[in-house]
Amino acid sequence: MLRVTKLRYGFPIGLLLFFYLDGILGAAFPKQLFNYPYTMSSYLVVLWLVYSIYFEDQITIPLGIWAAVAGGLFDLYYTGIFGIFVFVFPIVVALTRACYKAFPINFLSGLLVYFIDITVVCALSYFGNLVVHLTSASFADMLVYSLAPTLAYNLAAYVILYFPVQWLFNRLKN
Amino acid sequence: MNKFFSNRRLVIVIVCLIVSFGLMSVSVAIRNKRSTPPLIQQFGNDVVGLVNRVVAWPVNGVKGSVTAVSDLLNTYQENQRLKSQIQELAQTKVHDQALTQQNTKLKKELKLSHTLTDYTAVNATVIARTPSSWQDQVIIDKGSAAGIKKNMPVLSGSGLVGRVSEVNRTNSKIELLSNSSESANRFAVQITNKSGSTVNGIVTGFDSNKNRIEMGNITSKTKIEKGDKVMTSGLGGIMPAGLLVGTVTATGTDNYGLASKVTIKPAADISNLSYVTVAVRQSQTTN
Repeated sequence: MLRVTKLRYGFPIGLLLFFYLDGILGAAFPKQLFNYPYTMSSYLVVLWLVYSIYFEDQITIPLGIWAAVAGGLFDLYYTGIFGIFVFVFPIVVALTRACYKAFPINFLSGLLVYFIDITVVCALSYFGNLVVHLTSASFADMLVYSLAPTLAYNLAAYVILYFPVQWLFNRLKN
Repeated sequence: MNKFFSNRRLVIVIVCLIVSFGLMSVSVAIRNKRSTPPLIQQFGNDVVGLVNRVVAWPVNGVKGSVTAVSDLLNTYQENQRLKSQIQELAQTKVHDQALTQQNTKLKKELKLSHTLTDYTAVNATVIARTPSSWQDQVIIDKGSAAGIKKNMPVLSGSGLVGRVSEVNRTNSKIELLSNSSESANRFAVQITNKSGSTVNGIVTGFDSNKNRIEMGNITSKTKIEKGDKVMTSGLGGIMPAGLLVGTVTATGTDNYGLASKVTIKPAADISNLSYVTVAVRQSQTTN
C-alpha cells in the first residue's frame, strides 16, 4: 500500500530530516540543550517513527526495518558505538504498535505513549553505555540530569509538531 | 505475559540481547585499538556527513539571525571590555613576534627543526553534536583528508576542549573534556606557578555540576596557587606542548587525603562550540 501514495517519498525524507535535525540542533543551540549538568538529548527521529504509527492508518509502512536503519545510522554517525539504537528504535516501534492496538490513540493518549517511549529509549541507552563503560553516572543522576530534561524537550516537540505532521501525513496519503 | 514470552519470542529476545552486547563490545574494542574505523563505517559516515552539511545550512541561517540580535544588544558592554584588553594585546603581540624570531634563530643554531611546542592548526566547523547525555561528542567537517589523526588535541578560542576520537575521510568525532567516560579526558598537563617551578600531572576527571576540570594524583610539594595557568606538557603521544587548558581555581587534597587535587576552570567554553582548531604536532615521536 505504501507504493501508491506520496508517502513513499515523504516518509524517508522526513525520517532523514528529523535524523539530521537531532544532531544539528544540538550543535546550533548548545547553550540551551547542553546546559551542564543538565543535558537534553533530542530524539526527533523517534518522534517521526511514532507519528508514522499514529497517522499511517491503512497504509502499513515497514516501520521495524526503517527503525533499525535509522538506529544503525544513529549509532554509526552520532555515537560511534554500534549496537544500541539499532535495537532500541525497533523496540520502541513494537511498543508503540502494541499500545496503538490496546487503546485508541488521540493527542493526549499519544503524548503518554510517547512519554513511555522516550523513557525506554533513555533507559536502554543509559544501560548500553553503562555496560561498555562509556559512562559512570549513577541511576539517580541519570533520572535527574538526563531523563527529566530529555522528556521535557521531546514532549514539547511532540506537542508543537503533532498537528503540522498530521496535516502533512493527510496531504501525503491522498 | 505467558503468551508474550512464548518459546520462539523468548529465543529471539535473548539472541537479540547477545548480538547487541557483542556488537557493542566489538565496536568499543575497535574504537580503542584502531586509529580509523572499518572502511564501510568510514564510507557510511562520509556519505551521512555530506548530507548533514546540506541540512545544517538553513538551521545555521536561523541561528545566525538569532545570535545577531543578541550580539547587537551586548555590543556596548563588549566594546568597553575589549577596548581595555586591546592595549595590552598589541604589546604582547609585538613581544611575541620578537620572541618567535629569536626562538627560530636559536633553534637554527642548535640545529633543532621541530620542538614540542610547534604545531600547525587545522580549522574546522562543528556540524553536529551527539544527541546523547553519555557521550559529550561533536562532529567536525574535517577528516583524514585534512591530515587529522586520532587522539589529536582540539582547541576552541582560547583553550583546549577535547581530543579526536574517530577519524573518517571527510569528518571526525571529537570527545569533549566534559566526557565522563574512562578514557576521554586524560591529558598530560603541567602547572607553572609564580616562582617558575612546574608540576606535571594528568587530567583525571570533569565535574559537570561546577563545570570544572579536575587534576589529581599530584604528589609534588610545589606550591600551586589560585590563578596559576595550566597547559599541556607535550609528554606522551601526539599532543603539542603549551596549549592552554585553564586556570587553577582551588587546590586541596583528594578524598583519601594523600595526594593533592587541583580544580581547574577551563579556558574555553566547552558547552558552546561552533568552530574548532585541531592542533597537528610537527615533531614526531616513536610510539
